[in-house]
Amino acid sequence: MALVAVVVVAGCYLAHRALAIARRPLLVSPFQSGWPPAEHALSRYHVRWYLVTVLFLAFDVEMLFMYPWAVVVADLGATAVVEMFVFLAGVLVAVVWAWREGALRWV
Amino acid sequence: MGVSGALARLALRHAHLLVIEVPGNWLTRVAVERLAGARGWRLAVSPADADILAVCGSPGPELSLVVASLWEQLPGPRARIDVAAPELVAAALDQAEAVLRDTPRQRRDSAARDGRGPDDASDDDIALAHGSEDRDGLEMDVLHVRLGPVLPDWPAGLVLRAHLHGDLVAKAHAGVVDAGHGPAGGAHVVGGGPSGEVGPADAAELAAQRCDNAARLLALAGWRDAAQRARVVRDRLLAGERSAATTELARLRRRVRRSRLLRWSLRRVGPLPPDELARLGLAPELTGDVWDRLNGMLSRAALTVGGPAGVAVGPVGVEAGAPAGVPVGVPATPPAAVASVVSGWDLATARLIVASLDIAALGVVTDG
Amino acid sequence: MAEVPAAVSGGWAPVAAGLLGTLAVAAALFDGALAERAAGARLGTGRPVGEVARLLRQRRRTTVAADRLLWRIGGAGLLGMALMIVTVVPLGRWTLFDLAVGVVWVNALDVLAWAFVWLTGWGANSAYTMVGGYRFLAHGLAYELPLMFALVAPAVAASSLRVGEVAAAQQGLWFVVWMPVAFVVYCLGVVAIAVWGPFSPALGRDLAGGVTAELSGVDRLLFLAGRYALLAAGAAFAVPMFLGGGAGPLLPAWAWVLVKATVLLAVLVWLRRRVPALRPDVFMEVGWLVLLPAVLLQDLLVAVIVIGG
Repeated sequence: MALVAVVVVAGCYLAHRALAIARRPLLVSPFQSGWPPAEHALSRYHVRWYLVTVLFLAFDVEMLFMYPWAVVVADLGATAVVEMFVFLAGVLVAVVWAWREGALRWV
Repeated sequence: MGVSGALARLALRHAHLLVIEVPGNWLTRVAVERLAGARGWRLAVSPADADILAVCGSPGPELSLVVASLWEQLPGPRARIDVAAPELVAAALDQAEAVLRDTPRQRRDSAARDGRGPDDASDDDIALAHGSEDRDGLEMDVLHVRLGPVLPDWPAGLVLRAHLHGDLVAKAHAGVVDAGHGPAGGAHVVGGGPSGEVGPADAAELAAQRCDNAARLLALAGWRDAAQRARVVRDRLLAGERSAATTELARLRRRVRRSRLLRWSLRRVGPLPPDELARLGLAPELTGDVWDRLNGMLSRAALTVGGPAGVAVGPVGVEAGAPAGVPVGVPATPPAAVASVVSGWDLATARLIVASLDIAALGVVTDG
Repeated sequence: MAEVPAAVSGGWAPVAAGLLGTLAVAAALFDGALAERAAGARLGTGRPVGEVARLLRQRRRTTVAADRLLWRIGGAGLLGMALMIVTVVPLGRWTLFDLAVGVVWVNALDVLAWAFVWLTGWGANSAYTMVGGYRFLAHGLAYELPLMFALVAPAVAASSLRVGEVAAAQQGLWFVVWMPVAFVVYCLGVVAIAVWGPFSPALGRDLAGGVTAELSGVDRLLFLAGRYALLAAGAAFAVPMFLGGGAGPLLPAWAWVLVKATVLLAVLVWLRRRVPALRPDVFMEVGWLVLLPAVLLQDLLVAVIVIGG
């Protein structure tokens, strides 16, 4: 399927080469309401929600445990459920705490 | 030739236009939007998306430079039309279609642009962004970005010089393009003749402009259906179909009022208390948040068109601060006030706030 | 009990891609028809055809000092992602790729949207596109975790991560019936990875098109096609996960898969025009404080039912 994807994308580019009014891309300055840009946009961007990314990472790692757990939970029974959801509840408490600290708001 | 001809024909069924409104030519812009829509054409949001550059009115020197630089950013096939008045729109669109259809001409045009970089910015001319402390005390880069005059759903002529921290507008200065040149030739002022009296046709136009502004706000809020309906009401008002417009406007108002999602997304955004409005020189009708102002806009439209002729509720603004040359009854919004109310908000919110000010005209006094 | 689908040879990949393409084109046609109706223009269905012709004829652009490689990878990536997702979606008795961890495979792929959309915004060296790219990441932080936990629910119920077994486990009662929260959250996630409707601020008008502001010609075509394809792939994957796979009367299983996918896709397309955008800053709290706990409760409920029954 990866091959198919490559073929489809390449096919689109080839069709465009054949059909477009010009093959080479046109070099332009980036759109800025009609003014020349004052500086390159590629820069150290203020990601004002960086606190959420930390929270996300914590949860994301936790999430990975869910997949193997999902396969075996029916066999392991109640203890597995209790263990997993006590742990999840703990992480959720952290989310609520982060929310109260204002980590989920940034504007 | 057969394939490229067929391709051109198919492509032209959905040409995209980038519309540039010279202040004072809003009726022409509306006519372009309406007639282009009827052809199945669409409005472009950026030059990369556009086939046609449609300039409504005759631009002053500064705006001419902007238009010239945008023209170079159109990928091609491209066509430029300059429309001076609403009744000339249909012919101009036909002309644009003919230019776009002419594949050999477009190929020549494109070939002539090869090897020539953008004249306003080569790689070395553009500086790297420099750092500054953000509000959390971290050093990050600041981008100096000018919003306007050409931006979708943006008041004609407004230029906002923003200092961006990420997407936060940390500081802004506002101005009006070609401010020193007075109203451009053929500029049309909404809401009446020199006597200041407001007739039924003017009332309809005032109401239509409120609907147009509401459509912009709804479009920025991402609600396409409602924005489209507001534009339909606007076009009906301008066409003189008053009763149909009134019915549809009432339906639109109900729909907007009932949308919980919209209310939830616009509530508490850009609150303006009465004393701050007075300090900034903005009209008292703008009290509240963006949600209040959207509903205010729509109810002013309804009042204007529904009230007895002559009792027009004008666009909001202040009479006192209106610069000379703008008739009484068409108050202008001071650009400095716009800059002040968006500072500290992120770009998305800032755009919503600007759209919520229901700007009819801009004062030409800039704050530098 | 329906049989678990068998893997077919990779030679069928073009067929699967063709089916996905057909679904995506159908979505584009439907979307175009809705747009024309709203605009009051003549009711034509040819809008996507015209748009494709227009973009194939249009010249490509590149901006000053663009990060061209990353930019193009981002633009074409969404389409590739959608194609890789459908490899694990069983079509009745057949599947291209009978992966033991198919659910995880889809999860891993959907996260790639973060990279592709952001790269498209970053590569152009334009302020508007870059703000758009970061907006998508902000949305991602809010929708991704609920989406992941929503994918876990069917896996728990089926005790398997193999997509075919998940589909086979819901003979009699579709998962959507007893895990509606997970289904709704999953659909939100699909809409989000396709940067669609309420999740389109990254492509917002306020940013002159956001991530797409500098794209023209075939580059824009691939990005837009990728969005439709992702929406279609997401709808197709919902069929084995929540909508009973190929189960249904009269029609053969493969036909039911297509019918269900088409119906869900139509709903998602229709939704686009009806709903205002969800600003990332407002949605962040919803994602973490409403969707996440809701879908965790859903998982708990499913787990309890599974060990009880």
